[in-house]
Amino acid sequence: MARRYDSRTTIFSPEGRLYQIEYAMEAISHAGSVLGVLSKDGIVLAAEKKVTGKLLDLSGSNQGGYGGSGEKIFMLNSNVVAGVAGITADANSLVNYARQAAQRHLFTYNEDIPVEVLAQRLCDLKQGYTQYGGLRPFGVSLLYAGYDPHYNFQLYHSDPSGNYSGWKATCVGANSGTAQSLLKQEYKDDITMDGAIDLVLRVMSKTMDSTTLGSEKLEFATLTLDPETKQPKARIYRPAEIDALLQKQGLGKKEEDTEMKS
Amino acid sequence: MEVSFAMTGKGYVLLAADTTAVHSIIKVKTDVDKIKELSPHLLMAYSGEPGDTVQFAEYVERNIRLYQIRHTYPLRPPSAASWIRRSLAESLRSRNPYSVNLLLGGYDTSTYTPHLYWMDYLGTLVEVPFAAHGYGSYFALSLLDRYHDPEATVEEGLAVLRRCLDEVSKRLVVSPGKYKVKIVDKDGIREVEL
Amino acid sequence: MSRSYDRALTVFSPDGHLFQVEYALEAVRKGTCAVGVRGKDVVVLGVEKKSVLQLQDPRTVRKVVMLDDHICLAFAGLTADGRVLIDKARVECQSHRLTVEDPVTVEYITRHIATIQQKYTQSGGVRPFGISTLIVGFDPHSPRPRLYQTEPSGIYSEWKANAIGRSSKTVREFLEKNHKDDLSRDDAIKLTVKSLLEVVQTGAKNIEISVMESYGKVTSLDLAQIEAIVSDIEREKEAEAERKRSRLAATAAGQAAMSQRVAGSEAPV
Repeated sequence: MARRYDSRTTIFSPEGRLYQIEYAMEAISHAGSVLGVLSKDGIVLAAEKKVTGKLLDLSGSNQGGYGGSGEKIFMLNSNVVAGVAGITADANSLVNYARQAAQRHLFTYNEDIPVEVLAQRLCDLKQGYTQYGGLRPFGVSLLYAGYDPHYNFQLYHSDPSGNYSGWKATCVGANSGTAQSLLKQEYKDDITMDGAIDLVLRVMSKTMDSTTLGSEKLEFATLTLDPETKQPKARIYRPAEIDALLQKQGLGKKEEDTEMKS
Repeated sequence: MEVSFAMTGKGYVLLAADTTAVHSIIKVKTDVDKIKELSPHLLMAYSGEPGDTVQFAEYVERNIRLYQIRHTYPLRPPSAASWIRRSLAESLRSRNPYSVNLLLGGYDTSTYTPHLYWMDYLGTLVEVPFAAHGYGSYFALSLLDRYHDPEATVEEGLAVLRRCLDEVSKRLVVSPGKYKVKIVDKDGIREVEL
Repeated sequence: MSRSYDRALTVFSPDGHLFQVEYALEAVRKGTCAVGVRGKDVVVLGVEKKSVLQLQDPRTVRKVVMLDDHICLAFAGLTADGRVLIDKARVECQSHRLTVEDPVTVEYITRHIATIQQKYTQSGGVRPFGISTLIVGFDPHSPRPRLYQTEPSGIYSEWKANAIGRSSKTVREFLEKNHKDDLSRDDAIKLTVKSLLEVVQTGAKNIEISVMESYGKVTSLDLAQIEAIVSDIEREKEAEAERKRSRLAATAAGQAAMSQRVAGSEAPV
C-alpha cells in the first residue's frame, strides 16, 4: 500500500511526510558533489563531474566558454555562480530560469539581483513543484556563490523542497557528510581566498572516488572582487587552468601521466 | 502653481515642496504634504495632475514598503529610482497614463552616499546634484548653478534653498506661500522648519 | 482516469475524513514548536530554534517574520510552504493599505491566510499547506493585543495563549494550567519561556522570543536576556524544590519528634 503515497504526485503520507521530496533528495545524494567555501574576499566552488569517457568531446569546454563546461558549474548572473547536484536535465531548466529571473531583476531595478533574492526566487519555483498537482519536484540541489552590496559575499544552499539557508562552507551530493565534517574541522572564520582554495581542493581530493584529481573530473570556480572596478568577477576555470592549479597545490597527476595524456 | 526643489550636500539630500492644493484658480488648502517617505532613507516629492500624483505616490509607497518587508532591507535609492521610472514609463504607454513629476532623494546606506534623481511624467530619469520642478525651476536653476555646493553643510544648504524660495516669491506671479522641507541623511529622514 | 493530474488530492474518505488535511497536520506536528502568549497590553511569540549548524549563517534561519509594521507571524511545519504563504500575506497587507488606506486588522489577515489554506484543501491537483501559524499583533487604534492561530484545514481561531508544532499538546496543557489574564510584560515573557522549556531541553540558545508591546513596536530578545530569564526560572524551580524538601523534612522531623515524645512519655520519669 505504500505506493498509494509515493508513486503519484507530491502528497502527504500518513506521517505527514512528502516522500517525493525525500526520494528527490536521495537522488542528489548519489550525484557528483559540489563544495563551496566562503572567505572574506571571495568564494570558491568546486564540483565533481560524473560524466566521463574516453570519447567524450570536451573540446568545446576547452575554450572555457561562458558558463564553464556546462555540467556542474554555471554563471547565473555577473554576480552569482552556482554549482548543481542532481538530475542534470532538471538543473539545466533551473539554471535557465535563474538567468531569466536575474535579467528580469536587472531590467526593473537596474542593479544586479541580490544573491538571496535569486535563491528565494528559485526556491519559490521549487516549492511550487512540491505542491501543485501532477508534477514531481526538481531533483536538484544548488550552491549559490554570489556578491551583493547588502551582505557582501554569500553562499547559499537550496534543496528540492524549496528550503534554503546561508553557509560559510558546505557541500551537497555524494559523500557530503564526510566533506561536511572535514569542513567543520578545518574552516576558520578568518580564512583567506588562498586558504579557501586550498581547503576546497583538499576536501575534494579526500571525498572523490578517484585517487588523483584532474580536470576531467573536476570543475572549479571562484568569485572575487575586481581590484580595479570593485565589481564582482566570476572565474570558471578552464581544464588547463584546473590542471595547473592542481599541480601548484601538489594534488595533480604525476608528470608522466600528463605526458601520456598529451 | 506647484514648485519643488531638491539639492544634495555633504552626506544629505534636501527636498522642498510647496503645500498648496489648487483647484482652477482657487487655493483649496495650504498644508498639503507633497513629499512621501518611501523608506527609512528615501524621499519622493511629487507634483503634476492632482489626482494622479496621490494615486501614483501611494502605489509607489506600498510597493517599496512591500519590497522592504519581503527582503528585510529596503531598495537602494538607484534601484528604487529605476523601478519607479519603469512604472511611470509603463503607465505612459497604457490607456490611462499618470501625469506626475518626481524628485527622488535618498541616502544609500551601503555606499554611504546621497543620491538625487529628477524624473518627469514622460519617464525621463537623471541623477543630478540639484533639481526643480514647476515654474520655480525657471528662477532656481540659475541660482543653484551659482550657489550650489555638493560639499555644503546642512545650514549652508538651507541658506541656498532660502535664496531660491525668496526669489520665487519675489518674481513669480502666482507664488506659493508655504513650503515643506525634508532632509534625508545617514540618520534617516527629518523635517526642518525654514 | 482517477489518476489524471488534476484530480483533487484532498477528497473525503468513506468515513468522512479529509486524509490529506490530517496528514498535513502531522507535518505540522513534526515542525519546531512555537508559542504565543497574550498579556495585558503585550503579546509574546516564542519559538524553538533548531540549533544552527556550526557553518550555517544564522541570519538565514528565520522562524518569526513580519507581515506588516504591526503584525508578526510564527509557523510550524514545512519551511518552504511557510515562506510562500507568508509572501502572499505580505502582499495582501500592502494591497489592503493601498485600497482602503488602513492597515489590516489582525483578524483580517488571519482570515486571509486561513482562506488561502482552505483553498488548497479543495482545489484540483494541489496538496494542502503543511503549516500552522500563530499570528500576533495590534489592530490600528486599539490597545488590545491579539493572538490568532490558523491550521492546514483553513480553520482559524483567537486565543489567550496557544502552541503549535512539536509537543504542542504538552505545551498547551502547561499554558492552560499557568496562564492568567492581564499578565504584565515580564510575566508574559516568562510564561512563554517557561512553556517552551517544557519541550526545549537545550535551554536558552534554542529559544527565540519576540515581543510586541504596542502598535508597531516589536523587539526580539537577545541571547543574554533569554539566558537571564531561563536561569531565573531555574532558580525559582530550585527554590520551589528546596521549599518542598524542607517542608518534607519539617514534617518528617515533626513526625519523628512526635514519635519520640510518644516514646519519651512511655519512658520512666
